[in-house]
Amino acid sequence: MILHYLDLSWRSLKRTPLISALMIAAIAVGIGITMTSLSVYHMMSMDPIPQKSDRLFQPQLNTMDDGQTWWTEDDLPYQITYNDAMNLYNAPIPERKVLSMRTGFSVHMNSSEVKPFLQGARVTGRDFFAMFDLDFVYGGTWSESQEREVVPVVVISTELNEKLFGGQNSVGKQIYLDDTSYEIVGVTEPWDIHIKYYDLNNGAFSNREEMFIPYSMIAAKELNSWGNTNGWKYQEINNYQDRLQSEQFWLQFWVELNSPEEEQEYREFLTAYLEEQGKRGRYSREKVQFALRDVNEWLDYNNVVSEDNRVLVGLSFMFLTVCLANILGLLLGKFLRRAPEVGVRRALGASKRQIFLQHLVEVSVLGLLGGLLGIGIAQLGLWGVRQTYSYYNALATMDLTMLLAAPSIAIGACIIAGLYPAWLVCRTTPAIYLKTQ
Amino acid sequence: MLEIKPIFNAMRRSKAGAIMLLIQIAITTAIVSNASFIIYDRVQYLQQETGYPEDEIFHFAVQTFGKDVDLSQQFELTETTLRNIPGVINAVAMQEIPLSGGGSASSFGINPTSDQGRQGREVRSAYTYGDEHALETMGVDLIEGRNFNQNEVIIAQNRDVLPTVAIVSKTFLEEIFPEGDGLGQTIYLGDMPLKIIGVVGKMMGPWLKDSRPDNLIVIPFVNAGVYQKVLVRADPEQRAQVMGQIEDILLKEYDQRVVVNLNGMDESKRRYNASDILMLRMLVVLITVLVLVTALGIFGLTVFNINKRTRQIGTRRALGARKSAIVRYFMVENGIICIAGLVIGSAAAVYMGTALLEHYSLPALDHSYIGMTAIFVLVVSLLSVLVPANRAANISPSVATRSI
Repeated sequence: MILHYLDLSWRSLKRTPLISALMIAAIAVGIGITMTSLSVYHMMSMDPIPQKSDRLFQPQLNTMDDGQTWWTEDDLPYQITYNDAMNLYNAPIPERKVLSMRTGFSVHMNSSEVKPFLQGARVTGRDFFAMFDLDFVYGGTWSESQEREVVPVVVISTELNEKLFGGQNSVGKQIYLDDTSYEIVGVTEPWDIHIKYYDLNNGAFSNREEMFIPYSMIAAKELNSWGNTNGWKYQEINNYQDRLQSEQFWLQFWVELNSPEEEQEYREFLTAYLEEQGKRGRYSREKVQFALRDVNEWLDYNNVVSEDNRVLVGLSFMFLTVCLANILGLLLGKFLRRAPEVGVRRALGASKRQIFLQHLVEVSVLGLLGGLLGIGIAQLGLWGVRQTYSYYNALATMDLTMLLAAPSIAIGACIIAGLYPAWLVCRTTPAIYLKTQ
Repeated sequence: MLEIKPIFNAMRRSKAGAIMLLIQIAITTAIVSNASFIIYDRVQYLQQETGYPEDEIFHFAVQTFGKDVDLSQQFELTETTLRNIPGVINAVAMQEIPLSGGGSASSFGINPTSDQGRQGREVRSAYTYGDEHALETMGVDLIEGRNFNQNEVIIAQNRDVLPTVAIVSKTFLEEIFPEGDGLGQTIYLGDMPLKIIGVVGKMMGPWLKDSRPDNLIVIPFVNAGVYQKVLVRADPEQRAQVMGQIEDILLKEYDQRVVVNLNGMDESKRRYNASDILMLRMLVVLITVLVLVTALGIFGLTVFNINKRTRQIGTRRALGARKSAIVRYFMVENGIICIAGLVIGSAAAVYMGTALLEHYSLPALDHSYIGMTAIFVLVVSLLSVLVPANRAANISPSVATRSI
């Protein structure tokens, strides 16, 4: 029966080519525009690590005096001080935790074969890879003793390994970062994330670091942050040691808490830690304040999905509504003009239900055609987005969800638009039309 | 005269089509007026005067890994090398690059900061280190005071000797010394006193979206870092060619370093504003297509109505109606729907403007945009009717006499 209806719809489309084309174009354009903004929104708002996003937390500590404000909604700074980072890192709980910071080096091989180039690096703890599910192709992370004893070791990405060693197993080889030679201990697999959720300082969609080195290098090499450094009070800082001891916020910290009990335990630990710091007179606060946000809460808190994008998605759905009103008007005219034909079919025994279904199949066909054409238009739109700035390259694409969503939204929308006209036409009383002929 | 009553009665017999058209026109009006206002706002922002000849300036950064040189002295040399490239107007090692989206800011006060904090007025401003070539390289002019003398520029690798003077933007000066007697006064960065010796009319800081985008202070200090930014101004025609040679020339001078982030000022400003440019483009496409879809919808619906009413039109013509009466009929019919749609749409636009203002950091909708949009939509809608209506007017009266 469905096949017969499909055949009927196809004939009907061909009978009024201009109107059919107008309707399909309207849906296609509506879907094209909507899917363009929705795809970008979808990529921006996607959970970057769905399997454990509710187990990774970023603690934020308020270590400022009472009365000091920050530009976040709850007056908590985004990052923490070096001292706090070290204290939390050396604390007994939880099992997995890392401090981290973005810096960079000129990379060279101490030979003329590779021209020196500048490369971003992440300074972090050895559990970084396990916490963020970053696997290794060769080797692995550095050991605890290497971390403690400030051994110059480095983990590099597949991309960098490709560039420097042609993709060979490079574990054990040396590369120069600025003037120090580092031994490669591991090569990570390609990391398929497009939101740099573990450090939003340089923009949520900016490039990831291609090298990882132990956190103990911060003090040893006097590394500068390539992210943000923010202070809240005036402190004389004349050398690097002053900086390490200062109240400036410039490090990120992540913990992995696997159960509500662990979370509770860590909250109690943080409360105790902050109370103790307050007692030492580091800051004057009535009561301690901190926050423990998981990955998605953290992205929300940092407004990773831009306002503009939300406005655009809203506007494009309104636009889709206009297209639907457009189609509804056209369908009404088209279906009602067919009343005599429907009258005859009704007289020959077709039930109201069958007539209704037949017309819904017809609008679904319209929706499908429009939806497919809409994907084409959306691809064009996304291409335009990518042209604006390469920053959007990873974001302005349609993944499978979006590719399937396009025709579904199109067909769904068309059925909504077709309900009323189909209902009108199936109420046709056969007698009137039989009489006139 | 306009036969509104019979038209209105006829419309009541096919309500649904008319209502759909009305909804379309209403939503179109609401979207177009709000979107065009956002567009206007972004265009204003993107095209604002920054004070710099953006097409003449480019910048890059140098990461030095060699440890055998004094960086500040090295960059004095590098500046000279750069200035000798044909086509280069001037070059300077700067701590921060204007309009680039990255920089330093601090609060500057009329009193020094002590352990108890700071008394008196303080104003937040972006600042950068640079030397006596900074102003010419940035392409900005002093409106009052003078440039740095060579002996006021401190070239050092440590902070033992600190600069004592500064050149500030007019906006900053007026904010911190509202009485207008700022030139020659002293401001403090932390507890470091800086005497204001010059005022620049317009030079914007690194962040165009800052709450104080026009505040910038230049401090005569050369304290070159391992990662050092350099600003160069060249003849606009030769800029691309000069940029092409930079890396080779600099590495020839000293090779224990890497040249990175070589970009024109206009380019890095575009990058900083990429999201605004994107929003602008998307909105322009959105409203263009929207108006087109609405126009096509009106066109399609009128064609349908005319087809449906071929015989009635023939009959009217046979009974003596002029062609113009037929055209007028459709124009008036559409006009009624359109005006009703515009009234509802304008109300929706105002509502939408308020909602956007409330939930997002968008400026309040200027109501003249609704008026302009309404007129525009009315014209587009009448034009879309005109074509099919003229076709209807050409229906021969004999159609009425044929049976099918």
